Amino acid sequence: MAAAEFVVRLIRGVNWTVLVTGIIIVATVVFVLVAGLGKDPQHIDSPLVGKPAPPFALKAVNTGETIDLESLRGKPVIVNFWATWCGPCYLEHPTLVANARQLPDVQFIGVVFNDTEDKINRFLAERGNAYPTLLDANGKTAIAYGVGGVPETYFINAAGTIVAKFEGPMSTEILQENLAKALR
Amino acid sequence: MTATLGRFLILASVLVSTTGAFIAYAAGAKRSPEGLKWSQRFAYAFAGLMVLATGVMEYALITHDFSVQYVAHVGSTQVPLWVTIVSLWSSLEGSILFWGFILGIYIAATTWVNRNQHQEYMPFAIGTWLSCGAFFSFLIAGPANPFLSVSPVPLEGPGPNPLLQNHLLMIIHPPMLYLGYVGMTIPFGFAAAALLRGRLGQSFLRPLRASLLLPWVFLTIAIMLGGWWAYEVLGWGGYWAWDPVENASLLPWLTATAALHSAIVMERRGVLKGWTVTLIQASFLLTILGTFMTRSGVFNSVHSFTQSAIGPTILIFLTAVLLFSVILLAFRIDSLESEGRIESAVSREGMFLVNNLFFVVFTFTVLVGTVFPLVVEAVKGKQMSVGRPYFDAMVVPVGTALLFLLGVGPALPWGKVTRKEMLRALLPPLITGAIALIIGYAFGVRSGWTLVTLLFGGYAAHVTFAQMWLPLRQRLKKGDAFAPALIDTQLRRGRRRFGGYVVHAGAVIVFVAIAVSSTMRTQQEVTLTRGQSTTFAGKTVTFLGSEERTEPHRQSTIARFNITKNGKTVATMEPRMNQYAAMREPIGTPAVYSTIGGDYYLSIMNLQGDQVGLLIINMPMVGWIWGAVLLMGAGGLIALIPARRRTYVVVPEPLATVPDEVVA
Amino acid sequence: MIATFFLLALLQIKVPDAAAIVGQPEGVPLSGQQLERRTMAISAELRCPVCQGLAIGDSPSIMAANMKAQVRELLERGYTEEQILSYFEKSYGQFVLLKPKFQGVNALVWILPIAVLAIGFVLVVSKAKKLEAAPVAAAPEEQVDDPYLARVREMVEKS
Repeated sequence: MAAAEFVVRLIRGVNWTVLVTGIIIVATVVFVLVAGLGKDPQHIDSPLVGKPAPPFALKAVNTGETIDLESLRGKPVIVNFWATWCGPCYLEHPTLVANARQLPDVQFIGVVFNDTEDKINRFLAERGNAYPTLLDANGKTAIAYGVGGVPETYFINAAGTIVAKFEGPMSTEILQENLAKALR
Repeated sequence: MTATLGRFLILASVLVSTTGAFIAYAAGAKRSPEGLKWSQRFAYAFAGLMVLATGVMEYALITHDFSVQYVAHVGSTQVPLWVTIVSLWSSLEGSILFWGFILGIYIAATTWVNRNQHQEYMPFAIGTWLSCGAFFSFLIAGPANPFLSVSPVPLEGPGPNPLLQNHLLMIIHPPMLYLGYVGMTIPFGFAAAALLRGRLGQSFLRPLRASLLLPWVFLTIAIMLGGWWAYEVLGWGGYWAWDPVENASLLPWLTATAALHSAIVMERRGVLKGWTVTLIQASFLLTILGTFMTRSGVFNSVHSFTQSAIGPTILIFLTAVLLFSVILLAFRIDSLESEGRIESAVSREGMFLVNNLFFVVFTFTVLVGTVFPLVVEAVKGKQMSVGRPYFDAMVVPVGTALLFLLGVGPALPWGKVTRKEMLRALLPPLITGAIALIIGYAFGVRSGWTLVTLLFGGYAAHVTFAQMWLPLRQRLKKGDAFAPALIDTQLRRGRRRFGGYVVHAGAVIVFVAIAVSSTMRTQQEVTLTRGQSTTFAGKTVTFLGSEERTEPHRQSTIARFNITKNGKTVATMEPRMNQYAAMREPIGTPAVYSTIGGDYYLSIMNLQGDQVGLLIINMPMVGWIWGAVLLMGAGGLIALIPARRRTYVVVPEPLATVPDEVVA
Repeated sequence: MIATFFLLALLQIKVPDAAAIVGQPEGVPLSGQQLERRTMAISAELRCPVCQGLAIGDSPSIMAANMKAQVRELLERGYTEEQILSYFEKSYGQFVLLKPKFQGVNALVWILPIAVLAIGFVLVVSKAKKLEAAPVAAAPEEQVDDPYLARVREMVEKS
């Protein structure tokens, strides 16, 4: 039984501490790294999803009226944070405008921070204006919403709870997908 | 045509390295000298193919051959020649080809240097090296192929990442890092050879140590260059942010340094062989982990590339080499241990053990901090961060402990020490430590940590210089003349010792400079309109105005400042704000005015026409860090110069059959 | 400050306020040098949400500047560091805290290195003792690898 002898000799020659410790380390490392693959490290989950949307009331740029988020309850609301100095915002704006026109039962709101009214008006004139654009002077509303960069869009249901947050330029598919969550 | 040639060369290198690895391992198992010769040939062939492939790529880049995919990715006719040449390593695929190039050269050089020696180890070593070579060739041939053809052939390319064209340091940092990183494969191969053979003889220690020290030198300098670049280019006024990729470069450096130290005990006392081999394996494994971290897109970092097939492929290789190392170690570690012993735990040997402990804790802390967010997200689905405050809090005490050992360790003699000897060794340097502390206090240092660092640093400096000049002092005591004794003890005979202490001297300066520059740093944020001045840290800063400059890849606004001290102009500084076409946010380039005492650092926070929001930082002793690390590298190089000792054994007449000269 | 509030109230503009999120200030309002120092200190502990791992104090991005201004304002109103960190955590999640909180799973990241140091210390001491106790052998074994050298040494010893 040379094979059995060989195996026995093999097992006896092993330093079990090293082997077991080593295997544990290997397994841990591999598990951690495999788990990391497939996740996008840039994407941060918002803690506000599932929580009531922070209330705010800001002045709209072109009409001058103050729009209060509380007053919009009863309808799903899509809040899109953007700025004129942001490239992807420039690209996504027509999509938002088109969708806003097609969905009269959904309230679209744009919030701009760190910008001037002139630049905003020029932007809207060029890219489309179908819903109120509010000015958040020092970005406090953005901070309360956990906005990191622009564009970021929040989907709020009729009860005033944030159901989804999307980072990056919007497309119609993504909008429909997230809106569905708000309509449930 | 070029693309096809490149692809052919890479495929050939996959074949050559794989075949060579098999042949080498077989040659080692069979102890066949013929097999060894063939292994060497395959090693040279692999290197040759890698060099040729890299040459082909450089040729394609320089001739702007946009039919080659990599050139289409990073090439551009608009950039200067030197940018084109260095764009070889500017992007993922090219950088892996560059890895293969450096690996090939290392393998060929090491094989050639050892072509007539250590015949029992070399086949196994070559087999291991060529296996790694096979993996990287496979990576280049498969997921990271830069030689794919592009059709239709574009007329122009986007050029390499604009951040890389900013600064001279960007040219040297990657090659240095690769020379360090890739070089760790060589000692890994030697360690694997020793384990496979089940023996680590004293004569094998020299090549093992040298093969570890050379990449260590490069890695030390590369890490410093990375920090220096971050400091000069990124504008936040710091040189180390504990970014995952920065940590990836530091981890193997820590284990390699620990291995270099435990190798000294291994040589002197014949103990810790298994442990040293483990550390050497760890150094290589950490480079593979590091390259995974940088390229897989799993970590949120400045260096990140996007996720692709490369990540999983490297992970598979990492798992394979991890298992290979663990199994080899588990089966052979006991056969390595010799019957050595140490005479006393409280001795220089004991201090080496403690030194290794702290290096391991340091490594573990950095590793845990870096991967912890990943673990938490995998296990609990929540995202959290482990950032600078954590690392600074955890690492600083460990670093301070290491500085302490840097002083106490070399102060203690080898072997058993009497109480009297111990006091005689440990007490005098306290005086120098105290002097350093008092000087620091006089200069305004109030931070507890920095004062402790000065105390330990002064102590360590005293010990380092005392030990460094010990052989010289002994010779002078014997009555030898000064100059010849100096050259002989330090540069001719005692290079390893002298080099080692030069490294320590550099390290002491690094510790002190880091402590001083971090705690004595002052900063001020101020808004200036054109013509306005502000005074800070003994200098007056006047805002002269701003100008816009448009370049093909970026739009810059440059602000000009006049710096005066006591009425005299010392510098004109021009920090700028760059908006790159490719990036979402603007990136500032700071202006740095460096003197021996410290740096005056200007960074723009915002700039609107005639009004600038400026951040001014005064950082004493920062420049000392770069210089001291270079000193460390120099020390390592001195220690590397081989002692070409030929031992001539004169044998009596009747034994004429023995060759005349035996090279030891 | 008061004028701004008055004006905002006039225009009926509301922004989400810290009071709603973390309650009333529990500390002392700061000003001058101390305000700047504390702002810098706390800014070093908050992560810029769009940058790669930079603190808001170090980041050039617009949002980071806004967040830093918010930190300064909250300090002026007398909020404590804990409250300020909690305020940002509610909007951005634990991701924004650069220093992991010592609670739950996160506590491990603080404990593990210390545990390794302790265990390692025990191992080092036991290894040192083992090495001390090892039997005194001849000089570190001369594992002679080179066959020529071995033969020559043999012959030299014999002669």
